[in-house]
Amino acid sequence: MNAALTLRERSEAEASRLPPLLARAEHLAGTVLLGDHGRRRSGLGDDFWQYRPAQIGDSRRMIDHRRSARGDQQFVREREWQIAQSVMLWVDQGASMRFASDKSLHTKADRARLLGLSTAILLVRGGERVGLTGTTLPPRRGNAQIVRLAQAWSEDAEADYAPPEHRAMIPHARAVFISDFLGPMDEVELALTKAADRGVRGVLLQVLDPTEESFPYRGRTIFESVGGTARHETLKAGELRDRYLERLANRKDALTQLCRATGWQLGLHHTGDSAQAALLWLYRALDGGTA
Amino acid sequence: MTVLAGIGFTAPWVLLGLLTLPILWLILRAVPPAPIRRLFPAVTLLLGLKDEESVSDRTPWWLLLLRMMAAAAIIIGLAGPVLNPSREQAGSGPLLLVLDGSWAGATRWSSTLDQIDAQLTEAGRAGRTVAILNLTVPEVPVFQAAEAWSGRLPGLVPMPWQPKPPQIEQALVALDQVEGGFETHWFSDRLAYDDSETILAALQARGGVTVYQSPSSVVGLLPAGYQDGVIQLTAQRAEAGPAERITVLAQGRDPAGVMRVLQSAEVEFAGGETQAQIELALPSELRARITRFEIQGERSAGAVTLTDDSLRRREVALIAGTRNREGLELLSPLHYLTQVLIPTADFVDGGLLDVLPANPDVIVLADVAKLSGGEQSALVEWVEEGGLLLRFAGPRMAASDLGRDEEDILLPVRLRSGGRSVGGAMSWGEAKGLAPFPESSPFYGLSVPGDVSVTTQVMAQPDPNLADRVIASLSDGTPLVTRKALGLGQVVLFHVTADAEWSSLPLSGLFVEMLDRLAVASAAKSRQESQLQGTTWEPIQVMDGFGTLSDAGNLSGVDGVDLVSGAIGPDLRPGLYESGKQKLALNVLTSDTVLSPAVWPPDVPIKGQEISTETPIGGILLSLALLLLTVDVIASLALSGRLGLAKVAATAVGVLLFVPQADAQTPADTDFALNATKELVLAHVLTGDAQVDDIAGAGMRGLAQTLFYRTSVEPAEPIGVDLERDELAFFPLLYWPITPQQPQPSAEAYAKLNAYLRSGGMILFDTRDSDVARFGASSPNGRKLQQLAAPLNIPSLEPVPRDHVLTRAFYLLQDFPGRYAGTEVWVEAAPLDAEQIEGMPFRNLNDNVTPVVIGGNDWAGAWAVDRNGQALLPVGRGYAGERQRELANRFGVNLVMHVLTGNYKSDQVHVPALLDRLGQ
Repeated sequence: MNAALTLRERSEAEASRLPPLLARAEHLAGTVLLGDHGRRRSGLGDDFWQYRPAQIGDSRRMIDHRRSARGDQQFVREREWQIAQSVMLWVDQGASMRFASDKSLHTKADRARLLGLSTAILLVRGGERVGLTGTTLPPRRGNAQIVRLAQAWSEDAEADYAPPEHRAMIPHARAVFISDFLGPMDEVELALTKAADRGVRGVLLQVLDPTEESFPYRGRTIFESVGGTARHETLKAGELRDRYLERLANRKDALTQLCRATGWQLGLHHTGDSAQAALLWLYRALDGGTA
Repeated sequence: MTVLAGIGFTAPWVLLGLLTLPILWLILRAVPPAPIRRLFPAVTLLLGLKDEESVSDRTPWWLLLLRMMAAAAIIIGLAGPVLNPSREQAGSGPLLLVLDGSWAGATRWSSTLDQIDAQLTEAGRAGRTVAILNLTVPEVPVFQAAEAWSGRLPGLVPMPWQPKPPQIEQALVALDQVEGGFETHWFSDRLAYDDSETILAALQARGGVTVYQSPSSVVGLLPAGYQDGVIQLTAQRAEAGPAERITVLAQGRDPAGVMRVLQSAEVEFAGGETQAQIELALPSELRARITRFEIQGERSAGAVTLTDDSLRRREVALIAGTRNREGLELLSPLHYLTQVLIPTADFVDGGLLDVLPANPDVIVLADVAKLSGGEQSALVEWVEEGGLLLRFAGPRMAASDLGRDEEDILLPVRLRSGGRSVGGAMSWGEAKGLAPFPESSPFYGLSVPGDVSVTTQVMAQPDPNLADRVIASLSDGTPLVTRKALGLGQVVLFHVTADAEWSSLPLSGLFVEMLDRLAVASAAKSRQESQLQGTTWEPIQVMDGFGTLSDAGNLSGVDGVDLVSGAIGPDLRPGLYESGKQKLALNVLTSDTVLSPAVWPPDVPIKGQEISTETPIGGILLSLALLLLTVDVIASLALSGRLGLAKVAATAVGVLLFVPQADAQTPADTDFALNATKELVLAHVLTGDAQVDDIAGAGMRGLAQTLFYRTSVEPAEPIGVDLERDELAFFPLLYWPITPQQPQPSAEAYAKLNAYLRSGGMILFDTRDSDVARFGASSPNGRKLQQLAAPLNIPSLEPVPRDHVLTRAFYLLQDFPGRYAGTEVWVEAAPLDAEQIEGMPFRNLNDNVTPVVIGGNDWAGAWAVDRNGQALLPVGRGYAGERQRELANRFGVNLVMHVLTGNYKSDQVHVPALLDRLGQ
């Protein structure tokens, strides 16, 4: 009894978190016009494509009687050809993502989830199947999947730097990894090579806070990771700036090399910038792969 | 006390603490600031990076400086700094403070008191006993603790006299009663007086004497003299210095009775001169109002001189020989005299014997030849007491034997019989003009106009004393005006008539000037000792040392002789004295006073009176240190990244430093304004009668509902407004039910209401009694309405005309019933020039909304609904009643539409549609 009540309460609390994220994601997705994704030719699908005069060879069943009854000619209703692609998403839930350098900025996690969910909404609208990498949420279609995704992303992970989930990837599917990629590099490497082995191609989106790019610190400072597992004390933070930026550039280079080797695309997004640009880029990058 | 650069220190050793500042600097520099903890996810990229230098960032120099300043301020503050420390070597033993305490020091009295206070403080610090001896009011000096005297200082005031020998004597006696030696500080008023050296010697015998006197010289104003139509003022200064300019103010009551400066004049002392004179020529009307002259900027009795009778309006009695010439005003011998004297004199009417007891200044006898024996003796007595008898010749005088054989006592000269005529039709020669006035004449200096001619005159017998008595003569040398002194007074004879029959003199401006000179000369009565013999003068107002007049209270009267001869002192105070009808001003300075500066022997040290008060500034420095430390806290917080905390701290400091000020607008006000302006809100005036207010509120709610359902006006819940408290500008319409008991709004509320009406608001007055009363004051409500509306700015009213826009603002209406379908409803009257254009159903009426609608139909009663929308009060009976309620609602709709749209429906554009609707 008690357990059920607790579960109910928790799920209510969780659910209450969903709508804002969903609404914002829907809002963001609504700004992207669905145009290129349709196959633009008749085929198997749900949506009406065109009426065409019945030809020899068409089975009687194919005749659309509602249209044909208006005249003497017989018409066949053709549907738009639709095929579904599976897209697997991974959004970093690690503690390092829960960071915003300024009150007016969103945390990286918030931005990453928003982008992930918006992409999912767009993909679902386009008829694709969307899911998470790993076994928790295999790709499915329909709006219910969006809710499930939102629910999955409303839970924070414990780890400071979460490694990319690379299990149970469907061969030849698409994948989207959104993270700050500040954690151990070999995990990313492992995930990407594994994906490439299975013919999975996709997109890496690196989400960074503006301060992580500029490093505007001075004076005696103790830097701590959000989870508190790593700390670094310096007497003059200003002196570290150049070397830090160099390391950051190295990290980006490594990611670029990795993507080039595996055929993935790499995008960079700052929480200080508009989410819409990043969404458009994501959508394009994915679409380019599917078309 | 150690003195450094004008600042003394009570505890100079504490200043050694300043030596620790460099050490503190080094320590603060060496200690690095606390590290800042920052969350930074990219710390993984930092791991392994080594600092190139092991020295941390130092505390910023400005923060160090701030802390140094705070520390220095604390150290210096604790050292007890004092600004302007007194550097005098404090003496020892008893101290006697001697004050002249006369009017001469009154102007600088407060600085004298300040200095005495400073001396008392100094003496208190040195533990000396102090006594104060005021030479103008000497008392036995009692040596007391200095603190005991501080409280009594305000009681020391300057006296309007200088120390006189009797007071000096008293002071010497008082000093004899003091035993032992003492040091003396003498606060001199810088003016010499008799016997000052005696008391100086007595003081020097007991100890050292130091004299304090102010640097500026004493200035006084001598009593105003009056001669030949000008007021002569003399200012005197004690010491001849460089040229100096002072301003003399003539003060008096204006016609409204308010004391004000009537005239001001600049007086300039030439360099090296001690006297300066000025002549003030004032209109006599103004002159008569002057009560005192004073030197601007001087606040002493010596710089004030009071005026008495000598400047007041003269009293003139006009007596003509011929009285029975009715209807011939211009021929009256007194006409020109009256015209001349009206602006400057008061007339005393009556017969000669009637006016004499009134003691006029001037008696004019125009062509009066015969005086009875009693009249003559009384008149002679009056003239001898200083009166001016002004006589005019005339036919009667010429015909009489007056002064023919021997000189009449009331005529200046003997007269020849008959007189003479020149320049007439039947005579030789031409009319004579006037000769220039001789220097001895009171008329000397008046210009003689050429058009003044004399055709007839009475002639004087050539007596030996004739030449002395002539003060004006004709061009041929015959006397025109003669004068002789009689006792204290004088008798003046014009050898022509007072009217224009014998000469054109009364028609000329010269006549006015001549009379002015003569009559003015008569007013300046000089006070002789013999004249005041045996009289007692009662003080009315007395002057204090500052020159301010105060009521004399019950001071005893003064003998007249003492008044003139006596010296001013405790028994004879300067001021205004009265005896009978006469007033006499006793001034501090007399016309022969000479002010001379005090001279001190060379062995007496003289000090100026400038003082600089000691100001301890330790508290200021300690506060500064606190402030600096507070700034340091905030700055340190900001530096270590705890800015949020710093903001809280800054706010807290702000709250601590500044008394929080009450918000100009309280939340209640804001709420009211928000509620009233979120939507259109109908409002009703709260009357204080709960039932009436409830119905009015319900009525407004009903009207709002009606509007909501039927029109695009969608009002919110109505508001009851308190005229005293609430802002009215938010409401387009105020419903004001009248109850006899409601209080009259305050003046501020009326100001608000008038502003509301001016800015386009409308008030619907409802007396709610048209079932029993008609419009007007026939009911208590009507009377109350008249009271309430009286201060309001309401235009002229008329009953709603048939073409008023109220009749068609939304519904077409002809009458405006509420719960009662009674009297007419009144609105602002249409302009008179509004005319109906041919073919149009209504006039082009006034352009604005009527500011008031007045009626008594209890509309709110008809509109009132409860929360469920059910009508609260019954209207009429059955269906007809409901129809009336409907019409009442329609009136409400029209009213609100009228308020909101103005005369929109009055626009002739709507005429065709309305004509169509009206079926015409």
